Amino acid sequence: MKTTFILILLSVLFQSVQAQKLVSRNSHIWFSASTHLEDIVGHNRQAVSILDPATGSVAFNLLVKSFEFKVALMQEHFNENYLESDKYPKSTFQGKINNNADINYKKDGTYQADVSGDLTIHNVTHPVSTKGTIDVKEGVVTAKAQFIVKPADYNIAIPSVVENKIAKEVEVNVEGRYSEN
Amino acid sequence: MKPIYRNILILLAIALVGGILAVMYTFRKTAVSVGSKKAEVEIQATGLLEAFETDEVKANEMYLGKIVSVTGTVESVSEDSVGISVYLKEDADFAGVICSFDKSADDVTNVNKGNVVVIKGICTGYLMDVVMNRCALVSHQQAGT
Repeated sequence: MKTTFILILLSVLFQSVQAQKLVSRNSHIWFSASTHLEDIVGHNRQAVSILDPATGSVAFNLLVKSFEFKVALMQEHFNENYLESDKYPKSTFQGKINNNADINYKKDGTYQADVSGDLTIHNVTHPVSTKGTIDVKEGVVTAKAQFIVKPADYNIAIPSVVENKIAKEVEVNVEGRYSEN
Repeated sequence: MKPIYRNILILLAIALVGGILAVMYTFRKTAVSVGSKKAEVEIQATGLLEAFETDEVKANEMYLGKIVSVTGTVESVSEDSVGISVYLKEDADFAGVICSFDKSADDVTNVNKGNVVVIKGICTGYLMDVVMNRCALVSHQQAGT
């Protein structure tokens, strides 16, 4: 009786160890707010992401100051005037892969992922949803997605002088490369 | 034309060209290179991590956006299509300091696990680890030497 109990306990423990979360410390998130007047692209290669293959819950966390631009002044304006990164240093996404059951994280292939969740930028949270992909190749899981963010929705005020230089709809790209943790 | 007017005209032309150059420089200046700048803070990787773990708000005030020089032991070096990142972590700690380098940083490719390095970069904050970007390698010591 006792041995059976211990065996069951062990198998439960083993399972929980097996169902490990996937972690990424260097996810690449970039956006483009370019217009025909100005090329505005920022890259962040240090986003942290956690993906739980068992439940499909996925989270991204990034530091606003980690966005790099080609022009130093752009980066300064982005941090100081628009995103106010001293006051709000982080941006997060907390969501779920709705069709997680269709994805086999152990088998090579490219799977469609239907993602929805809450995006927090500039201390304002809005729901977002998008279709992305999960690539599984030789045990490495890569998640890719793209969605549109409107600065106005997140209380990001763009002065009228530069209004036409910055896109009203910003295209955000996400690429997370995971390893088991 | 009187010489005085001609001189004024020349001066104006010089001022105009200078002004245009200054505007072009300001609006097109690329990001600062950290390598040539002096570090504002010098600290051990463990100390930097501890500061963020204990009081993130205070640590943000102290280090965010500043050029920080950290000394630590290399846990891993990884390279992807966009850059190289060196992860500093001591065995006793649960987290560490992630330092991102440009793809062009050749000197970093000689860095191996266990090496003690000094890295200068801009501290951008704390997620799971302390994050530094635009890093430059200051000094590098092989393990056991």
